[in-house]
Amino acid sequence: MLGLALGTILAGPAAADENAVARGAYLAAAAGCDQCHTDSKNGGAPYAGGRQLETAFGTIVTPNITSDMATGIGGWSEIDFVRAMRWGIAPDGTHYVPAFPFPYFSGLSDGDLADLKAFLDGLAPMAQPRVAGPQSLALLARARAAIGVAVAANTASPPIQGDRVLARGQYLVETVGHCGDCHTPRAWFGAPDLGRYLAGSHGGLEGEKAPNITPDPKTGIGNWSEDEIVSLLKDGGTPDGDFVGGSMAEIVRNTGRLTDDDRHAMADYLKTIPSKAFAKKN
Amino acid sequence: MNSSTKSVALVGIVLTVGLYAGVARSDDAAIIDARQTVMKSQGKDLSAIKAYIDDKADLASAQTAGADLVTQVAKIPEQFPKGTGMDAYPGKSYVKPAVWTEWDKFSDQAKTASDKAVALNTALKGGDKAAITAAFGDMGKNGCGACHEPFREKKPS
Repeated sequence: MLGLALGTILAGPAAADENAVARGAYLAAAAGCDQCHTDSKNGGAPYAGGRQLETAFGTIVTPNITSDMATGIGGWSEIDFVRAMRWGIAPDGTHYVPAFPFPYFSGLSDGDLADLKAFLDGLAPMAQPRVAGPQSLALLARARAAIGVAVAANTASPPIQGDRVLARGQYLVETVGHCGDCHTPRAWFGAPDLGRYLAGSHGGLEGEKAPNITPDPKTGIGNWSEDEIVSLLKDGGTPDGDFVGGSMAEIVRNTGRLTDDDRHAMADYLKTIPSKAFAKKN
Repeated sequence: MNSSTKSVALVGIVLTVGLYAGVARSDDAAIIDARQTVMKSQGKDLSAIKAYIDDKADLASAQTAGADLVTQVAKIPEQFPKGTGMDAYPGKSYVKPAVWTEWDKFSDQAKTASDKAVALNTALKGGDKAAITAAFGDMGKNGCGACHEPFREKKPS
């Protein structure tokens, strides 16, 4: 009897955790965490960091987010994780450069943050020491907190009410997928220029140009059907038979793992945002 | 050599160099145009096959496109002579320098794309829609996409 009762007690939380890990894995795919936190070019372990990234904030080397105690985030408490994700503050109180898209992640729900942590905690610990990246902007290093605040203040937009599909699409595009991090041009201090939300940027990841994904018919994706947007997110194919390259090809490896419902929600939402023309310079 | 002879010689040199550069540039422009035509024709073929998958066109038109796709993809490696990428022709070419600095990787990837185009064409000839859809996805993701990812910069809008 006692054994049975104990078994039930022990199995209860474990089963719940498994669900949390699975939900967290799905969110990690939607957010594309592994894209930056894996040095795939040099055969690095997933989520063990070490990728050198060219960003609007200088060249950085991404950290290890596996559960390794010494070099990863294995020793982090729930509060450490939430502070890092929402406010860009490391457990030692230092501020991250907003190349880590915490200003977008500040909108993540409590439940989703807990699930993400459960997933990351479940990753095998990989020892990969933190490498100090070449910091091309020394001033920036000192002004990280101010920059973080400036960026965060410019990313919050009120959640859509009354339409569950659109609200889900907005959450996936704006918060989890942080599409604006590449597709919205930046203004002062690297803050997104919200007047040109998702209207394309000349300063995307790795110095690439990120196209306009507003419904502008000429320079955006206004002529794309919802199914065509879904198709791009699924396998990277565009309506003219092309297949995306560069960083977007990496993104598609993750959006290809989402459910069709979620891809449709994202497409639905993208159809509703204000149409803007792509600026030749920004 | 008097000064007028010098001038004539100088004009001659300037003209020759100018003409040579002009010829070289127009040759490169033609190469870039031809390359983009080859790539766009693959896009058209893939659109035609996608139209069949989406029940918007018949199998016969997809089969024609599949046969053409094999021919076009096979042309890829010869479309990339050195010095015709985005570093030399910004705003016209979107080919990353990695094509030439990592030529072996690039040509391996081109071969993979070619193999996948052949497999897609075989599936199209067989006429089984599920197999065609799978081969199409494989071609797009691992044939086209896998090559565009390291080697092409997307033209913004």
